[in-house]
Amino acid sequence: MLEWSHLIIILGMAITTYLTRIIGFLLLRNRQLSPRTQFVLDNIAGCVMLSIIAPVFVSGEPATLIGLVVTIMAAIRFSLLPTVLIGVIVTGLGRYMLGA
Amino acid sequence: MNGYIRNPRLPKVLSVNHEMKRGIKASIPVVLSFIPFALLFGTQATQKDLSHLEIPLITGLNFGGGSEFAAISVWTSTPQFWLIVGISVLVNIRHVLMGAVFAPYMQHVSKRKALVLLFFMCDESWAMALADAKKRQAFSISITYYISLALCLYSTWVIFTTVGSFIGKWLGNIERFGFDMAFTAVFLVLVKGMWSGMKKNYCWAVSLLVACLVAHYVSGAWYVLAGTSVGLIAAWFGAGRNA
Repeated sequence: MLEWSHLIIILGMAITTYLTRIIGFLLLRNRQLSPRTQFVLDNIAGCVMLSIIAPVFVSGEPATLIGLVVTIMAAIRFSLLPTVLIGVIVTGLGRYMLGA
Repeated sequence: MNGYIRNPRLPKVLSVNHEMKRGIKASIPVVLSFIPFALLFGTQATQKDLSHLEIPLITGLNFGGGSEFAAISVWTSTPQFWLIVGISVLVNIRHVLMGAVFAPYMQHVSKRKALVLLFFMCDESWAMALADAKKRQAFSISITYYISLALCLYSTWVIFTTVGSFIGKWLGNIERFGFDMAFTAVFLVLVKGMWSGMKKNYCWAVSLLVACLVAHYVSGAWYVLAGTSVGLIAAWFGAGRNA
């Protein structure tokens, strides 16, 4: 049920995430960050998240790529639930029809 | 646990009961939007062999959806500690700024209490508590409003990720049906929520492009690090014109 290697990672994430929550409060409350630093910090999460999904863009699998394009269009227009449903159905159907 | 208001025209102490009701009511639409994310997270985490106990542990101790999805995406049968924790920190680094913004609004609570309250700070609870304070023209957030709202979100997240883990077990291997695209969809929706135009977020395109190249030519999870760092370098050099 509980694996040692998993537990270590879970605790590592828990501690570091809590630190991100309190560091700004404890250290930066009376300090002004430079606009440049603030700009970079603001952009980190987006850079990480888009990097994470990069392999899907270069998967080279036609059904996945069609699914990706449709999912992107859905994400621009809709909220999470319809986007997920559209993405999953189009990708699944594509794989079924293209035999991937 | 009262939120003091420094605007003299308004009552000094907020009613705990009233503030609690207000917080819970305000949380409802966000709770509803959390549920599909949570179910999806539980399902995806089960696919990576996390157990029904580990899933509520990760979502309950970490309580940061974006970082949890990111961690699961690079989770393998022999998960890499530094890779996963590093990516999680990068996704959550925005909390540092959020905490700094929160600090002046929390001057009416003791430091120890504030440190507990901050554990429950997520994008939504932070934004809503601040928006509420601004709406009331108050210099401090209403603590009761904030914590009841945050606890509703927290319990929703933990409970429904656990429920999702059982759905995941029941579905079995779902990749071939296209369920892996749900993952991409989550990140795309999260990114859309943070998007504030090409002028401010041009570096995201740089990250994506570099990550694609590295993912294509280099094996392993280096594409995350490469994409993120080149994107941030681009942000650093372009900040002068945009910040």
